[in-house]
Amino acid sequence: METIKNYLETMFQNLPNTIEVKRAKHELGQMMEDKYMELKAEGKSENEAVGIVISEFGNLDEIADDLGISVYVKEENVIERRMVSTQEVKDYINEKSRYGFMIGLGVLLCIISPCGVIITENIYGIMFLFVAVTIAVGMFVFSGVSMGKWEFLKRDLCSIDFSTTEYVHNQKENYRMTNALMNTIGVVLCVFCCVPVIIISEFDRSGRLDVFGVVLLLVLVAIGVVLFVSTGNRMSAYDTILKLNSEDTIGGNFVASQKGQVRYSNKTLAAIMSVYWPTVTCVYLCWSFLSGAWHITWIVWVIAGIFETFIKNMNRN
Amino acid sequence: MVSISSDVIRGYNDTMILYLLLERASYGYEISRQIKKLSEEKYVIKETTLYSAFTRMEKNGYIESFYDEDASNGKRRTYYRITDAGRQYYKEKCAEWKLTKEVVEKFIEEEQENGDN
Repeated sequence: METIKNYLETMFQNLPNTIEVKRAKHELGQMMEDKYMELKAEGKSENEAVGIVISEFGNLDEIADDLGISVYVKEENVIERRMVSTQEVKDYINEKSRYGFMIGLGVLLCIISPCGVIITENIYGIMFLFVAVTIAVGMFVFSGVSMGKWEFLKRDLCSIDFSTTEYVHNQKENYRMTNALMNTIGVVLCVFCCVPVIIISEFDRSGRLDVFGVVLLLVLVAIGVVLFVSTGNRMSAYDTILKLNSEDTIGGNFVASQKGQVRYSNKTLAAIMSVYWPTVTCVYLCWSFLSGAWHITWIVWVIAGIFETFIKNMNRN
Repeated sequence: MVSISSDVIRGYNDTMILYLLLERASYGYEISRQIKKLSEEKYVIKETTLYSAFTRMEKNGYIESFYDEDASNGKRRTYYRITDAGRQYYKEKCAEWKLTKEVVEKFIEEEQENGDN
């Protein structure tokens, strides 16, 4: 049955996502399922049943005119899309995660690079700084060059088949918890990074140990950033793959990552909403710095949040 | 082995479907199965052909679709029922076929057919 489902999905993959096409797909799927069930009930093997159902399916040419999709079914009008295989997708996700981690380590080195100077304040400290930054830059360049071969995913029109999409989708769902966990730990580390400084300055009245507090602060932030960067890269790898299929086709229809996106029908509104949150941030900072009333300015976020939901709902209607 | 000419049968898919719907409303696979059975497995209608016929006839007002539950397993399906225009069309097609058959048969060697049997 899985084979039949995949076959149908593949046949419809590049057709426009319209009501007629969806209905046709559903009806044809229903007929195929009925036939398959009956063949199985007659005692046919899985392979035989699938073979018969697929061989008796027919040709989409026949329904093309009724669905207004003749443009898509005729060979010469199909826009050439590069098919990305499941293996390529797996490789891409693996490499993107690996190099994402490497970039994270590079950022870590950059953040902790001043530590040597902070502790020793001599030539070795400066050397540590240069060595750390050099290694970090090396890592950035290396991962950038290595990922270069995947540029085509963003540059060219590509598509993936149904089983690959499902595979990536499941992988992403499985990774969701880990992603949330790593982001949470990252935030906690960044929030609590100042704790060592406070504790040390509290217990060490001499002030000589203060530098270690600063070093610890940098290290905690650096570890947090590694978590953000590597988990972020992995998630973005999944999204890149899931967005490959054009979203106005049946094939792009089951991408969950696009579900949350609100598309504004009005162009002006879309332009305004694209700078909405940066503007809100700007207003918040200006108001706060100019008035100094930090205790109350946070209300901007609440109002902005409600207002955005309001606009989204208006747009939906 | 002799098989059915798809060019000729194409014009009469509608007739077969309407004939089956004359009796009672039915759904996709059930119709496809009946056609296979009544033709003694000599003709199997393709899913796309069947669906194409449904959409075309519905557009022309010969049949109507509605959702209903299958009594045997409770599955919700699209059922089709014939309309008055459909009955009228069916009668026309029958007359058309009788005439076509009459004309074509005049050019068919009887012996050939007897030889097959």
